[in-house]
Formats: sequence, structure tokens, C-alpha cells
Amino acid sequence: MRNNAIVLFVVSSVSYPKYRFKLNSYSTQFPVFEEYPELAYLDNAATTQRPKAVIDAINKFYISENANIHRGIYDLSNQATTKYEAARQAVADFIGASSASNIGFTKGTTESVNVVAQSFLSKRLNQGDNIVVSILEHHANFIPWQMLAKEKGAELRVIPIDEHGDLNMPAYKELVDQNTKMVAVNHISNTLGTINDIAEIIAVAHTKDAPVMIDAAQSVSMYPLDAQYLKYDFLAFSGHKMYGPFGIGVLYVADQHLSEIGPYNYGGGMIKEVTIEETTFVKFPKNLEAGTSNVAGVIGLHAAVEYINQLDRAQIQSELSELSQYTEELLQSIPGVKVVRLPKHHSGIFSIEVEDIHPHDVASFLNKDGIAVRAGMHCTQPLLTDIGVPATVRISLAHYNDKSQIDRLKASLIELIDFWS
Amino acid sequence: MTKEEIQSLYKDKILPENKAPYHFEKVDADHSVKAYNPMCGDKYELYFENDDQLLDQVHFHGIGCAISKASTSILVRRIEGMTEEEAEEYCKKFLEAINSSDPDSLSDEDLKILVELKNFEGRVDCIKLSWEALYDFLKNKTS
Repeated sequence: MRNNAIVLFVVSSVSYPKYRFKLNSYSTQFPVFEEYPELAYLDNAATTQRPKAVIDAINKFYISENANIHRGIYDLSNQATTKYEAARQAVADFIGASSASNIGFTKGTTESVNVVAQSFLSKRLNQGDNIVVSILEHHANFIPWQMLAKEKGAELRVIPIDEHGDLNMPAYKELVDQNTKMVAVNHISNTLGTINDIAEIIAVAHTKDAPVMIDAAQSVSMYPLDAQYLKYDFLAFSGHKMYGPFGIGVLYVADQHLSEIGPYNYGGGMIKEVTIEETTFVKFPKNLEAGTSNVAGVIGLHAAVEYINQLDRAQIQSELSELSQYTEELLQSIPGVKVVRLPKHHSGIFSIEVEDIHPHDVASFLNKDGIAVRAGMHCTQPLLTDIGVPATVRISLAHYNDKSQIDRLKASLIELIDFWS
Repeated sequence: MTKEEIQSLYKDKILPENKAPYHFEKVDADHSVKAYNPMCGDKYELYFENDDQLLDQVHFHGIGCAISKASTSILVRRIEGMTEEEAEEYCKKFLEAINSSDPDSLSDEDLKILVELKNFEGRVDCIKLSWEALYDFLKNKTS
């Protein structure tokens, strides 16, 4: 079955140029690359592709396991409920949470952040308090805090970056104080690829008793995020950026905050008792999952977790690091191409500018050579304003990319620059 | 569109207009209209000097891709000297043509090219950006 993204390719009659292209051992597990072996998919920060195992799990659920969870007193429903809760346990194990009851399912990272802002922080934030975020944040981990701070008369403090694009940690330490009621930062910047030292960020915040929310959307697929070791208070990530389905995400809540997360939406499936006068609610995570759950999304997420678990992540990190180094060298060797920031702690995400050519034009021409990249502000307007760049072309790598695709990227950029001049 | 077709369109029409846009400067004007696409960051301001409801002098300035800049440049050049009503109708006709993919309803070759560029995947917003902003401004002004 083709997903929507593939259908779009078909409708737009894309014919990628024929390169002699050998799929790497990882990409053979991804049906999209069998369909389009010439596609150099370098937009993994926007969404990853899905392995066959995930697509099969979702298909299998709809074909032979479909029923709504909870309260259905028949085999299919019981089985669906068991699988749904098994997925919660698998996610808990995946990030080293102490229990499945720390794991709530949401629509994605954005909703997870909003839940914490509205259901946890809103009731404890007062005038004179502050929230600390970083300039690297995606709007999803920026606007919910900005809006809440405005509403409560609190201060939004923003950790700056240095000239490389790494967080200015001494400045961060100055920003956190006794009035800090939340520190919210990403693990990896979706625009610059900066890897933030979240262990240090969390440790500093905890010296002031400030809880920390980590946006792990860009890191969850390949980086260890052990809850017991890192001791973050809240963690958010999305299924679709870790080879899983769209529309499903996770909110981890640490033990000490479980009773402080109130309902976010109101509806069925989250109540203890409803009378005409009032309603009492069950606890997190069930109080988060009002209405019908995205059961197939959760099943697909479980399959994605299992897919990642069977990979040798240390080996892949080493390969990705080498590919990232290769990409950096090639990009820097092209006259007219500038990597806007190169953080010292860097993952496989690059934002570049091409002299005199707007990112949209660059992306459109790369597309004609079968290279998929993203152009724009990447939902990080404060960051781009800060570094004085209106928009960038973003290249983001995954384990199924290889050097031949980066060679093609270089050739295509050189041809475009030559054409433009 | 094939790569060769895109290259040819860029070479013949888009790049010349992009490299030498018409009346591309900030000016003190009677009216200005902002055209902004928050998804990509393209941002232009169109400046109008009116003489008896006539768009006597039109300028623009800002940042954007080659297509949005070329499209805005063509728009500015074409509407100069029109009345506000004529400009509103002109924008409306162009937007209708682009929304229906019917370049034949337009007589202006440059506009036909812009409508054809609609088939350049994902770029229709770049073409329409300033046209929509100006149309909304004039429509609200007259209503």
C-alpha cells in the first residue's frame, strides 16, 4: 500500500534521473526506496521513511486485528487493548522509564509540549516566575511557553547560541534561578543539528528545583535517552520522526509529577465519575487519552520501537557520524555554498545558503535531480532572525543515506550555481 | 515539468526579471501593502503613489525566491497606471487563471508563463503571494 507521500510523487509525474544506484543494507528495508531507488531522501528531520515492518504492522492491525480498545468485551477488542498497552510498555522500556504509567500517547511532540504547558505548568506559574527556553527551539517548544508566560505575566528567558551554533552554557547557568518554573530545550536542533548537552542542562536546572522538558523529536531515533540516567522531568517525541506513523507521539512524565498532570482535553475514556454537577478524572496517562485513541498509530509506533531496538545503534551512529563529516566536507568544498552554522556538537542536520539563490529555488532544482531537501525557516523563526538569515536549505541525514547521495547533492549544487550565474 | 523545461523558463523569463526587478526599491508612498508567506519567509512590501485613484507609481522591495520576486516585478510593472478598480480586476483575473490552470484566459505572455509555472511542484504560493496580498488590500478598500 502506498502512503500519501508516495501518491503525491506519482501524481506529480516525477521521473528521477537514472543513476547507477545501489541501495545500502538499511534502505532495502524501506519500501519507498524500492519504489524510487534514485531518490536521495535528505529530509529526515521533517519526517523519516517507514520500514516495511512498521507498514506491515499497521496493515495487519487493520486487516485482522481491528477493534476499539477498552470496554469491548470480545476477543478482538481485548486483543487490541492488550497490544495497545504492550506498546506503552515497549515505549517505556525504550527510554528506560520506570513504568508504562509514565508514558502517555499524544498526537505528536507539539501536543506533548502543550499538555505540559497547560496541564502542568499553567497552575503553578505566577507573575515574577520565569520559563527558560533556547533560541534553537522549534516553534512547538517555544510558542506554548511564550503564550503561557504572557498569560501569567511571567518572563520568557532565552538561552543564546555562540558563533558555532552551540548553546551558550555559561549564559544558561545565569538564566536559571529560584523563580524558574520550567526549562524547555530540544536535544537536537532541527535547523542547525546542534546536539545539546541535556545531561548538564537538566543537572543545572535541578539545582534550582526547576523541572526540565526535553523535546527529543530529532534525537529519539538514534540517541540514547535513558530516563533514569538523564532524569528529565518530561520528554516529548513523535512517531513519524523515528520511522513510525504520522499522528502519534509520546509524552513521558517522571514519577514525581504523575499526579500533577491534569486532563488536557475533556471527553470519554478518561473519567472516574460524571454527574450533572461535576466530573472526576482518572490519573495520567489515561486522563490524557480522551476520546478514541489512535490505536493503529500506537501499534505502528511499537513496530518502530522494535525496528530501532534490533538495529546496532552504536554502529549506525558511527556510520552516520562519518557520513555527516563527509557531507560537511563536500558542502564546504563548493564555492558559493555556506553552512550557516557548524556546531561543535553536531548531528547530521545542515542548514546551508547558496550565494544569490533563494532556498526555494535551490530545493526546486535539487528536486529535479531526485534530491529531496527542505527549504524555509523550519519552524524556527526566532533562530533564523537571531543569526540573520531569512531562510535556509536544510539537509538532514538518516542511516539509509549514503555517500553517493551526497556526491549527487554536490554535483547538483555545482550545476545549479553554474546555471544561475 | 522536466528539468530542461524549468531551466528554459528560468533562463528566459524568471532570472532576467529576478536579476533586474522593476522599481525594486523602498520609497515613501501614499499606501503600502505587505505580502508575507510565514511558511517560507518570503516578504515583500509594495508601495503606491496615487493620483486621483490612479496607481501612478508602484515600487516594491523585500526578500524572496526568484519566482516570487519575478512574479511581483511583473505585477508591479503591469498595474502601474491602472485605476485601483482596474488593478483589482487584473489581480482577480490572474488569480482565477492560476487557480483554474487556464493560461489561455490571459492574453499577456508573461502572465501565461507564471500560470504555467504553477505546474512547478510546490511553487504556486510563490507566484501568487503578492497578487493575493494586493487583491485582498484593494478588495477591502473598495468594499
